Amino acid sequence: MIPRYQRILFWSLFGGILLMSAFLLRGCEQAHKRLAALNNATPIAAPTATSTEDITLYLASDADASITPTTESFALPQAPTLRARTLLEHLLATYSLPASKHPLQSGPAVDDVFLLAPESNKPDKPNQPNKPSSDSSQPNQLAIVNLRGSFVDNHPSGIQVEALTVQSIVGTLHAALPQITGVRFLVDGQPHDTLAGHADLLRTYPAVDTTTHPAPPTETPQQ
Amino acid sequence: MTHPCKQFAARLSLVLLASLAPLTAQTPQPIPRTTIFLDPAHGGSDSGARLSDSLPEKSLTLAFATRLRALLSTSGFSVVATRDTDPSVPFSTDQRAEIANHSHPTACIVVHATASGNGVHIITSDVPPPNDDTDTRPPIPWDTAQSASIPQSLALANALGLALLHSHLPVLLTRASLRPLDNLTCPAVAIEIAPLTPADSDSTPVSDANYQQQIAQAIATGLTSWRRNQLLPGAAR
Repeated sequence: MIPRYQRILFWSLFGGILLMSAFLLRGCEQAHKRLAALNNATPIAAPTATSTEDITLYLASDADASITPTTESFALPQAPTLRARTLLEHLLATYSLPASKHPLQSGPAVDDVFLLAPESNKPDKPNQPNKPSSDSSQPNQLAIVNLRGSFVDNHPSGIQVEALTVQSIVGTLHAALPQITGVRFLVDGQPHDTLAGHADLLRTYPAVDTTTHPAPPTETPQQ
Repeated sequence: MTHPCKQFAARLSLVLLASLAPLTAQTPQPIPRTTIFLDPAHGGSDSGARLSDSLPEKSLTLAFATRLRALLSTSGFSVVATRDTDPSVPFSTDQRAEIANHSHPTACIVVHATASGNGVHIITSDVPPPNDDTDTRPPIPWDTAQSASIPQSLALANALGLALLHSHLPVLLTRASLRPLDNLTCPAVAIEIAPLTPADSDSTPVSDANYQQQIAQAIATGLTSWRRNQLLPGAAR
């Protein structure tokens, strides 16, 4: 014979289980609705048609340590920072193709590109924080390329191969965004000594045409 | 009044001194010391590039530097090296540059190795050369200390490149920003050894002893040739 107090306890616990089950089911339904709302693909803003344009990529070749300008046609956003980031992602994705002369591992490479206004770099205005600039007509901008740690970790190690990657990025940025006068690098938002153990990432690289075709040594010493 | 013998002795000594003067003027200047600074890159926890499953860059640079050091000593150079073992706490790049700059070497060689590319890469710092228009001597920033030596470094790279070409080794002369190369105040180059990958035969890995010996021999020859040219009258110093 089951005592009365045990039967009361059993039915109380059973009732609690039913209540908790109902509560969990309700919570699941609400969470599902929230997630479904996030994936709503209903257009809100009118789509903008971006026409393709000729862009010069400075492509590296490991075989002869050269940087060669190559013109390609593709669409880029107009906002300078987005434009620079998309351009660099396209450039570095080119190096992960099987026929690449400067093979790099595929995957996302550039986290962000910031363009700093020149006046924000002046030391005589210490109270003004560095503000990213979106005005493409402003001259003498400094580009900060924030590389992803995964890209740096998987980059081939060597003086020449790292220097070619840096020169390729600098030359391509210089050609597409002439207002850039210098390029600095961060890795995951932090200053980083080298790209993969060799190329210096702590200095500011002047944004110039980096076309390079190394000449062989000559009997007459070059000065 | 002085004794005639003393007068004769004084005159004789004057004549002797006068006759010796042209001889002392014609005596060749002592040959400047020929110290070579050798920096096997990486070491300790910084193993550098992974050249194969069991060969880190730091081991290869040390082995090659040991080989090159022996050849340079045989050729009459004195060598200052940043390491001859694999220390647990290696010198930083700034410390390596300080060692080099304090020893005032004739040439600085930084040794690296890579698994990318072909042959030997000779790298010169890409810091801009000094501006000759300025009359004043501004302080030299540490980050661009190599600037004043860029013309000599390019000549050194050319001499080493020629020696490697004469040894039938593919060579590329390039420029890059690299520490401690940018901080050295002597004529300086970085030698990066890459695998030998000819189009018509099998590739030779960087760990090949004969390949390393061939490169070391060519560099020693190139340094000797470059130093000889430096000693010629009118050569850029």
